[in-house]
Amino acid sequence: MGFLLECPNCGKRDVYEFRFGGEAHKRPRVNSSSEEWMKYVYMRENVAGVQQEWWFHRLGCHKWFLAIRDTRDNSVMRTFWMGEELV
Amino acid sequence: MEGARPTNSGERDRRSKEPSPSELLDRSKMLNFEFNGRRMSAFEGDTVASALYASGVRIFSRSFKYHRPRGLLCVSGRCPNCLMSVDGVPNVKACTERVRAGMKVKSQNCWPSLEHDIFSVIDKIGRFLPVGFYYKTFINPPIEWSRVEWIIRRLTGLGDIEEEIASATGKGPKDGRSIHSSSFEHLNLQADVAVIGGGPSGIFAALEAGNAGARVVLVDDQPALGGHLRYSGETLSIDVATGEGAYSGLKSSAVASTLEKAVRDRPNMTVLDNSTAFGIYESNLIGIVRGNSVIRLRAEQLVFATGAHEFPSVFQNNDLPEVFLGRGIQRLVNLYGVIPGKRAVVVSNNDSGLGVARTLMDAGVKLEAYIDSRKAVGAPETLAEIEDAKVQTFLGWAVKEARGSKHVSSVVICEVDNEGELVHGTERVLSCDLVSLSTGFETEAWLLNQTGSRTIYDELLREFIPRELKPTVYVCGDLTGIHDLNIAIMQGKVAGLSAAVNLPAMERSSELKVEYQRKSLETYSRLVSQYEGKYREGMKRTRGPDVLVVEYPGSDKMRKRFVCVCEDVVAKDISLATFEGFDDIETLKRYSTVTMGPCQGKMCSMPSLHLCSRVTGRSIAQTGRTVSRPPYVPVAMGALAGAELHPVKLTGIHYKHIELGARIMDMGEWKRPHVYTSVEEEYKAVRESVGVIDVSTLGRLDVKGRDAGKLLDFVYTHIFSTLKVGKSRYGVICDDAGIVLDDGTVTRLSETHYFITTTTGNVEFVEEWLVWWATALRLDAYITNVTAGLGAVNVAGPKARDLLQKLTTVDLSSGAFPYMSSAEGEVAGVPCILLRIGFVGETGWEIHFPAEFGEYFWDTLLEAGKEFGVKPFGVETQRVLRLEKKHVIVGQDTDALSNPFEADMAWTVKFEKEDFVGKAALVAAEKKEPERMLVGFVMKDSTVAHDGDQVFSQDGSRHIGFVTSSRFSPKVARCVGMALVSPEYYKEGSLIRVKSDDALSGAEVTLAPFYDPEGKRLRA
Repeated sequence: MGFLLECPNCGKRDVYEFRFGGEAHKRPRVNSSSEEWMKYVYMRENVAGVQQEWWFHRLGCHKWFLAIRDTRDNSVMRTFWMGEELV
Repeated sequence: MEGARPTNSGERDRRSKEPSPSELLDRSKMLNFEFNGRRMSAFEGDTVASALYASGVRIFSRSFKYHRPRGLLCVSGRCPNCLMSVDGVPNVKACTERVRAGMKVKSQNCWPSLEHDIFSVIDKIGRFLPVGFYYKTFINPPIEWSRVEWIIRRLTGLGDIEEEIASATGKGPKDGRSIHSSSFEHLNLQADVAVIGGGPSGIFAALEAGNAGARVVLVDDQPALGGHLRYSGETLSIDVATGEGAYSGLKSSAVASTLEKAVRDRPNMTVLDNSTAFGIYESNLIGIVRGNSVIRLRAEQLVFATGAHEFPSVFQNNDLPEVFLGRGIQRLVNLYGVIPGKRAVVVSNNDSGLGVARTLMDAGVKLEAYIDSRKAVGAPETLAEIEDAKVQTFLGWAVKEARGSKHVSSVVICEVDNEGELVHGTERVLSCDLVSLSTGFETEAWLLNQTGSRTIYDELLREFIPRELKPTVYVCGDLTGIHDLNIAIMQGKVAGLSAAVNLPAMERSSELKVEYQRKSLETYSRLVSQYEGKYREGMKRTRGPDVLVVEYPGSDKMRKRFVCVCEDVVAKDISLATFEGFDDIETLKRYSTVTMGPCQGKMCSMPSLHLCSRVTGRSIAQTGRTVSRPPYVPVAMGALAGAELHPVKLTGIHYKHIELGARIMDMGEWKRPHVYTSVEEEYKAVRESVGVIDVSTLGRLDVKGRDAGKLLDFVYTHIFSTLKVGKSRYGVICDDAGIVLDDGTVTRLSETHYFITTTTGNVEFVEEWLVWWATALRLDAYITNVTAGLGAVNVAGPKARDLLQKLTTVDLSSGAFPYMSSAEGEVAGVPCILLRIGFVGETGWEIHFPAEFGEYFWDTLLEAGKEFGVKPFGVETQRVLRLEKKHVIVGQDTDALSNPFEADMAWTVKFEKEDFVGKAALVAAEKKEPERMLVGFVMKDSTVAHDGDQVFSQDGSRHIGFVTSSRFSPKVARCVGMALVSPEYYKEGSLIRVKSDDALSGAEVTLAPFYDPEGKRLRA
């Protein structure tokens, strides 16, 4: 991997400055079925395509943000803070 | 071992009398080196190959499979013929490796010598070893293959790694590589425009981009810029129309020097010479290797000026020593002052062959003949010069066969018809000792392809040329398939200017400037189209038949028409493989191994393509090429790894531990004192008077904000929002699978300020975890990692209070400062946070203070504690102390499957909270029978169990678990420990057996701590 990722706070950086935080997925309500919890804890979509995911800027501002990335070619569409998904 | 007679068949002292102006040599400096045990000499600037050739060496290697003698071919590091072992490093290209004083060079894959290799007998049985023979033979009986494989591997191959590696002498980029990995390094560079290739088009691209204001990095693999201008030996006549009339009448090497100076003089230009770009990665990251450095160059725009290389045509015995590529001869003559051969035959199918003929004539070599498969040439003036010199010229002819045993002694030439087939009966034999092949160019599109940009086969030019270019990618020069200096320069200007104009920053700069640049771009581009058109017309006019792979009646029986000299694949092999069904270029490659050797297709990609297309009847464009992947050249693993750096973390008190003679141990990246004097002594001090331990390695986090309590309630299993200010509480973090991730203490310093400790080494993870939950839950909470900023010391023992009270006015009495509470104040004048918590089971305080006071604080404590017999204690003693209290260490007594119930920490889980991380899983887990439980145990006899020892039932028949921690306990005078066992053994008094050192020893389970089970001493 050698792609550049744009931290919303710090700007474009080498991807190795960040820690990947997995696919963004909704956490079930506490009283959901164990089936739903099992899916949340252990299952992932693992798409060959565009996904929304978390990144932590560990060698920079120490903030978590979201990215839309195509897993096939590592092209990043956009990066944004939690809450700014539909900007 | 060579004796006093001439080495290796050739004449010695083949240097030109006068140094040529384009030489890379300094003839005033001589260097000595060793070749196969013989002393050789070279000039400074010589490569191993040029020095050896000048001394008479003609055979440089023995081929991979047939052990055929091979001589220099490309003289540019693109073929396998000169691979030798240099200072213990195998497979070094002698033609690019500069000679260093004292170098030890050895030949490879031959025995007893290059001149006489007994394994060349394999060449005689070649008919029994066709392509893929190892897939079809030695199948039954199966045992045969392992024996045969052993033999085959010994007989073939390229180089060995020596047991004793000679130490390298030079280390810098100009001195070649070092074999000591610790001398490799990584560098990072950024550029607006990266130009890959420092030939004429690349130089002009760089200059234009630089003029437009871009920061440019120019990468070239040679020691001097200028590409083929350095060695072509031409006198230039540049078209005035392009405005470059100033170079007319000058020697190309002089122009190269002028251009190089122009580039190097610019402040916004960085030149990386001796640098090979080996791969293009995502987001325009270029991997470059330069001596012992790997340079990671990131650029906004990429200009590829990587040029083109020659490859040999395919005819019988085309692999004999003294068969050269045309540009290889030009390099030998003009860069190294070496005169190859005495009677040369020049074979060509394009105008560059005329240039080689002139180079040889200028060097005083007799030209037997000039042979061109075309009926007309593009530079008739040069042809006229050759004819005037009484050289026989054969237009519309080609080479059928080369003859000779260890080097070429004659060639058989033949007329060709319009279809490219040799005309039977027109053969002529010419004596010669040198054959030059200018039989085609292949564009160096390897790196370009890695950007995703595509190349397509151009039928007229007979080369793969760039077409669909990705954004930010530009091309110029020989890479475009056009071999014309004027056009190359114009293309370079267009590429450089386009790259600069399209920079995002450039859009914002002065509009006038950008406008001017766009106009220039239009003008240049128009000129380029014009001239390219003319070039193509010229190509059409002089187009000859395609004679890359000679065919004639019965030629398919000729077994020594070499396509791949790396892997010894002949034309018959390719035809056979295609016929057997491997007719796709990718499967053909893998079955025949063509293009898979050191040259990676540079010599054999085009010929194998031609053959495959001919046999299958498909066009070359349809046949296509194999996928090109990095690295473009072999890159040492050490270079990719970079410098050996082992980061180490030291506490602010570290050097005091050294002074006290502590044995230092590793705990992750931290260095910690294992023990100072002995565990017994240190233990005694803590239990009977007072001990101090440096715990600065603990992770410390500050959590602040309105929602700090809410965040901790959600992340920890316990409740912290109700924790009173000045109180501390033990906390456990689980994930949503209910697995224990970490534990620590949480202290509330104010309404909105919590101070957290984590397990040593885990603080980075806990910080990320806390920040993520605060983000996801949109909580007003801020987390700071203060580990490095705070030193910490634990003062523990019955006399701990007495010691500390001497140094502080904070009331440490049991009533004012109870167990699990905190205070902020000065100790020994240092501002501190005092936490009355206990890991080792005695009265004690964990004191946190600004790290810079570390040494002072430590010394003050030891001084103040002298009267009480204070002792520093290390990690090992701490382990024994805490084990006696049955205190859990996460990661030691828990593993990746432990939930709080199994770890006997059910009391930390507060289900009354509406939701927290892990609640759903823990609710479910509580309802089930646990799979295992953490228990304490005491050994019955004097056996000392080890961490990890397996645990069995009383009768030894069932395996029920394993020991997580185990130490000798001075209190119990027996070995004690903790183990994860089947839940039915979670009962006071259960009998188990521990397998220690292959013997089963009895032990008894206990659920209470071994020392002070009621915790009276802790709370005193």
